[in-house]
Amino acid sequence: MSIDIHTMRNIGISAHIDSGKTTLSERILFYCRKIHTIHEVRGKDGMGATMDSMDLERERGITIQSAATNVTWKGHPINLIDTPGHVDFTIEVERSLRVLDGAILVLCAVAGVQSQSITVDRQLKRYHVPRLAFINKCDRTGANPFKVKAQLQEKLGLNPAFVTLPIGLEDKLEGVVDLVLMRAVYFDGPSGEDIRYAEIPAHLKDDAARYREELVEAAAMFSDELAEAYLEGEYSNELLIAAIRKGCIAEKLVPVFVGSAYKNKGVQLLLDGVASYLPDPTEVHNFALNLDEGEKEVELVPDPAAKPVALGFKLEDGQYGQLTYVRIYQGELKKGDELLNTRSRKRFKIGRLVRMHSDSMEDIPEGYCGDIVALFGIECASGDTFCHPDLNYAMTSMFIPEPVISLAIEPKDKKSSDQMGKALNRFSKEDPTFQTYVDPESNQTIIKGMGELHLEVYVERMRREYKCDVEVGRPQVAYREAITQRAEFNYTHKKQTGGSGQYGRVAGYMEPLETENYEFVDMVKGGAIPIEYIPSCNKGFKAALQKGSLIGFPIVNVRCVVNDGQSHSVDSSDIAFQLAAIGAFREAYEKAKPAILEPIMKVSVEGPNEFQGNIFASLNQRRGIITSSTEDGTFCRVEAEVPLAEMFGYSTVIRSLTQGKAEFTMEFLKYGRVPTSISDQLKKDYLEKRKKDAQR
Amino acid sequence: MLKEEFISKSPVRVLEKSIEGGLGKGNFGVIASRKGIGKTSVLVQVALDRLIQGQKVIHVSFNAHTSYIISWYENIFDEIARRRNLEDLGELKDQLVRNRVIMNFTQEGVSVEQITRSLKAMIIEGGFDAKTVIVDGFDFSRGTVERFQKVRAFLAEMGLEAWYSCTLSGEEPLCDKNNVPILLRELLPLISVLIVMEPARDYIHFKVVKDHEILNPRDLNLKLDTKSLLIAEN
Repeated sequence: MSIDIHTMRNIGISAHIDSGKTTLSERILFYCRKIHTIHEVRGKDGMGATMDSMDLERERGITIQSAATNVTWKGHPINLIDTPGHVDFTIEVERSLRVLDGAILVLCAVAGVQSQSITVDRQLKRYHVPRLAFINKCDRTGANPFKVKAQLQEKLGLNPAFVTLPIGLEDKLEGVVDLVLMRAVYFDGPSGEDIRYAEIPAHLKDDAARYREELVEAAAMFSDELAEAYLEGEYSNELLIAAIRKGCIAEKLVPVFVGSAYKNKGVQLLLDGVASYLPDPTEVHNFALNLDEGEKEVELVPDPAAKPVALGFKLEDGQYGQLTYVRIYQGELKKGDELLNTRSRKRFKIGRLVRMHSDSMEDIPEGYCGDIVALFGIECASGDTFCHPDLNYAMTSMFIPEPVISLAIEPKDKKSSDQMGKALNRFSKEDPTFQTYVDPESNQTIIKGMGELHLEVYVERMRREYKCDVEVGRPQVAYREAITQRAEFNYTHKKQTGGSGQYGRVAGYMEPLETENYEFVDMVKGGAIPIEYIPSCNKGFKAALQKGSLIGFPIVNVRCVVNDGQSHSVDSSDIAFQLAAIGAFREAYEKAKPAILEPIMKVSVEGPNEFQGNIFASLNQRRGIITSSTEDGTFCRVEAEVPLAEMFGYSTVIRSLTQGKAEFTMEFLKYGRVPTSISDQLKKDYLEKRKKDAQR
Repeated sequence: MLKEEFISKSPVRVLEKSIEGGLGKGNFGVIASRKGIGKTSVLVQVALDRLIQGQKVIHVSFNAHTSYIISWYENIFDEIARRRNLEDLGELKDQLVRNRVIMNFTQEGVSVEQITRSLKAMIIEGGFDAKTVIVDGFDFSRGTVERFQKVRAFLAEMGLEAWYSCTLSGEEPLCDKNNVPILLRELLPLISVLIVMEPARDYIHFKVVKDHEILNPRDLNLKLDTKSLLIAEN
């Protein structure tokens, strides 16, 4: 059996925490007959929602990992990728977005467009993912989908148009009006599965006509045919649907659906929208880099007969070994086919192919072009590309931010220590923003990541999934050191007492660089330093950069220029010049007035107006610079630049300051200079630590 | 050019000198003109002058996009920096960001109480001891005497001075025989300094209509360059 690729949809559900994403996913699975009963997120029935496959997520009521699941709606196979909502896990979100062809942006009808919706929308824009908007929770007190639609325009700069309208709001929400087919839709039965069509209620007829008009006018921008027919007053619904689809795929129109997943209202129409308006895999352009031709970009053809190219976007450790979720961009994957992992250069045979439904799976003989499936027992890392052995493609490398925070961890017992290695190995494969290494000085295991919560979740996962208890140290900010002015060096490394001697002189200067981390410039004339020892100087400087003398953190933004030197015909060597360069660097570093830099985060706090003062105060106390505050009725959003070092525990603080009504997101912004009082303290701490280490 | 020299040579000094040394605490001034003449640019230059002096400024706006306002500041600062050859740009820019906060009120018909409450929260809880408030885009057709009495009381209480922009629209004449915009006639006793910007042949003319106690004092020796939108001396 083969599936028509034009019926296929790969979609994600992107949303703010608590806007009801998981509930919506559950309803979708239910209406597509993948599950037989509905569980709520913080399940009162103890089961929890099906899409949150990890206990931890269940406990926190948030979704961390993206599980892919396949459903069918009216003849359309839909792969549903559950994208995580918290900003600390952006790499997960972004990797999921990569493999999507379309998305549903879920918004809360009460809270509207919040800071996280903005982050998520920015990510969708970056990966050019066409989207539908679903304004959820129309049954809640204070629900105002019209305000939310206006915010889509104002805050996100989208061009939204209602495709459905609510019949009643808050506790009077009865159903929705379908503005395309111009009829009322009610959702009967215990779980809203019995759809009943009726005439639009009299009191809504004017509104429906007005919004229908708006929709047609918006859609007519994308279809001359519709525009002409509209002017003549005669047009078919097929023409309208085709025009909306065109605008949506071009990312110039966002069809807006309303409803309440919890109250089982409006979800089926949203699914119809997925089928009608979101693109199939052939309508999306995907590119790979040809590694044989200097990473030249090649467009992939969604043709089943082409040689296969697939991206492993997600790993999961299951009962039966490692499961790798792949998106097939070109060709087909069949059991027994040979594939090449272009990163590891390893070839492997496809053993078992499965289609996933959260916690259960179905064996399949082949994976189709455009589809998302899972492979068993493949040795790989997340983000690897798998190709036909004749090809040598890599899917474009994704932007991976540098970790900004680190934590020392120590296993509590012998058993934990065995398990810890396994766990860390797995996590760093799954998530490129999670890194781990052993500090050679303290012999401690260090984990690095994008935020406090990010690391907390991994520590928790070690405990649960690997039964590995660890002692956690204090979070450590990834400081940097940088020079602030130019300084000269002229250093001679000389060791000529017995045995083979060492001799090298290196002269030049160092100066601050604006953006790049390090630059080496060779301006030596007349062979003062023999050409074979120039790379040795570069190596020496690089070694010196690893650890600054202020607080032992790496040095950034420095240009080292060598313009003179001296060698000895017998005693000069690679190592002699490396040591000379290290000596030269240390000599000049002190004179170049080094300073400590710290990561500054862009923080956005959102909450009810009444807590504005508390929010301002909390940011002010954290050395934050408030850059703006925006008030919109009863809500305010405050944007600030705050040093990461001051943000530890902020989630708890902000919760208690605002009765849990405010929340925040943060992302790395830049490195900024640490104020003198704090840098003095850091230097003092570093000196003490070194003293202690020396005594040991 | 050094920062100090820049401050002393700023055209904003000329503006201040001609209006009795500035607005003064508890007072507010209004810059009025038709749309698109350059009011925002003038307000941003007044703000930048304060910021470069190291004073803190709150910019109140009724526009949802803070990025739009920030780019006004950046563009005008870059233009001034380029023309005056300013030194230590990086540090100056940091200082600008540190000392400026943008407060946006996007709700229609936001009350004076709500705005003053938020400003107060920023100054006290937020520890942002501003001296100047810039208010751009306020709709003066909603500006009652009662509202601006409250504004003056608040400015006096917090030791602030404020500059407003006021958009004039409709048919000529916009101003009465004393050059006072008809829209602002009722508020005139509360306004300390009133400047009307009028397009001349190839520049924009600043006409001081009210300077504290004096109506229509001698002409200001300032104009706005229509290309760069910078304030310049005649």
